[in-house]
Amino acid sequence: MSEQQLSVKKQSRLVKPAIYAAVLVILIILPSIIQSSFLMYVFTLTLIYIIAASSLRTIALSGQVSLGHAGFMSIGAFTAGVLGQRFGWSPWATLPLGAFATMAIAIIVGYPFARLRAIYFSMISLFFGIGILSLISVFQKYTGGENGLVGIPSLFAGSYLANYYFFLGLTVISLLILWRFESCRIGLKLKSIAQSHLLASSIGVDETGYRVMALAVGCFFVGLAGAGFAHYNIAISTSSFNLIASTNLLIYVLLGGIGSFVGPIIGTVILIIIPELFRSLKSFSPYLSAGIMILVIFLIPQGVTSLPQMIKGWIIKLRESRYVNHDARN
Amino acid sequence: METVISSLSSALVLSSMYILVSLGFALLLSIMGILNFAHGAIYMVAGYICYQFSVELGLNQWISLILSVVIVGLFGLFLEKFCFRPFLKDWFRAVVMTIAVTLIIETTVNVTVGVYTRQLPLFIPGVFKAGAISVSAERILTFIAGGVLLLLLTWFIRKAKMGQQMLAIAQNSEGAAFQGIDINRVSAIACVMGCALAAIAGCLMGALFQLSPYAGDSMLLKAIQIVILSGIGSFGGIVFAGLIIGFIDAILPLLTSGAITQTVGVGIIIVLLLVRPQGFFGREV
Repeated sequence: MSEQQLSVKKQSRLVKPAIYAAVLVILIILPSIIQSSFLMYVFTLTLIYIIAASSLRTIALSGQVSLGHAGFMSIGAFTAGVLGQRFGWSPWATLPLGAFATMAIAIIVGYPFARLRAIYFSMISLFFGIGILSLISVFQKYTGGENGLVGIPSLFAGSYLANYYFFLGLTVISLLILWRFESCRIGLKLKSIAQSHLLASSIGVDETGYRVMALAVGCFFVGLAGAGFAHYNIAISTSSFNLIASTNLLIYVLLGGIGSFVGPIIGTVILIIIPELFRSLKSFSPYLSAGIMILVIFLIPQGVTSLPQMIKGWIIKLRESRYVNHDARN
Repeated sequence: METVISSLSSALVLSSMYILVSLGFALLLSIMGILNFAHGAIYMVAGYICYQFSVELGLNQWISLILSVVIVGLFGLFLEKFCFRPFLKDWFRAVVMTIAVTLIIETTVNVTVGVYTRQLPLFIPGVFKAGAISVSAERILTFIAGGVLLLLLTWFIRKAKMGQQMLAIAQNSEGAAFQGIDINRVSAIACVMGCALAAIAGCLMGALFQLSPYAGDSMLLKAIQIVILSGIGSFGGIVFAGLIIGFIDAILPLLTSGAITQTVGVGIIIVLLLVRPQGFFGREV
């Protein structure tokens, strides 16, 4: 390898951290640029959904596509909501408790669910999510039924800025943990299970154990996001966690690209912020989301994050065709 | 006696409509391998199209029913050709596509008609009386229509050449292609049939219950429940599974609250999936 190539490689190794640092700096100074409290509300909500979508991707790493992820989110949200509103617990205690409760339930249901693969896992998670919501409606005395809870204590009462910075920190820490989880040996084992569960277990990977582990870690973070949503939004109802919410989370992941860690982040940002920016369209704005979804799946099959690779592929093809033409002329 | 008759009749009506909708859903799932999340929206929009023709334009209600079925069937043809066929082997992109279609349909209804609930006028007003038993004629019509369609479909799948081809593709699409079956043509017909069945159910249910832009979501859920109960890839079990779900939905609310009914229904599905993932009539996992 020549010296020039080495320096290029060193440069490209620095490019990614530089981009991340720049994005973080922009996010930190964002509130002083945008003085609108409504936009800050949208951005904070986006941060919460980024945690949820990224955790869904962590579960999907092991080949389990959950269609009931919003149901798990509702466990965190209603644990935090009921403890905070009915029993007056401090939000600082209920936030982690919501996350741990979701993880505990994920471990309990994870072992029986690990019997099922592919579409059957998706189906059972779909019905689990709906079952959780109908259980919440059954215990109406505590959870308020379908109307949900109003007046959940807020983390920072009335301060958009403090909430924004808190959730920014929470999102960054959660993403770092999820990234570390994915890039260590466990992540490799999960990917091997997704590719071929028979081959993976034949070389000694405990399939059930690792699948439950992926579900538990993913559900911990989605529970955290749910509890954060409850304390941030102050009011929660079951309609925020129904089948449509679950499929929306899956779409955030798929639109951004399920193959890359940044995928769910970009997908969430595109699908939450762009329709909000065009609020003047009012009831027409779902057309915008649907249009983005259809464009992306037709033009960029692997998701938005694969766009640079696609362009690189086109450039290489273009060059090759030029060489071929050149040779032909000679 | 009165409550028994009325709940029995509503159980049969619900079951027959559930079966019609879920048969279309199952056809698409087993022939094209596509989990059609737009099926509920298609069922919902058919009722609205019928409403537009019969109430807003003042056409005969039966003609508007036929027009609605034809329009939704043609939409099914469009759906198969441009939305499903490009993503046959790609489950993820197909899911995104079906949800985008759902969004477009629901938004169109919201924008044109509004979010308020509507109701179709009855197809046959009046009450059917036989001794002490009295049932509204509309319910009997709905049940008879469902039953006749079901018999026709059973004959079609069991005896007609096209139905046999559908079964062959559901069993093994590559093997079917080897035998010279035109998979694209058969899936287009399956898609049109599925959408038309959902449209008939949507129009008939629109006269019995209310039309709402989000009514499709619960119907989609019922269709998925029934397909799981009967087993992915089996058509015969759908009648049985539809009767189970219909009776649970019609009879349990008399005894307990609606939330508990839903919990029981979902609980049955979860237990069945854990014990016997292939459903009552499925062949394999």
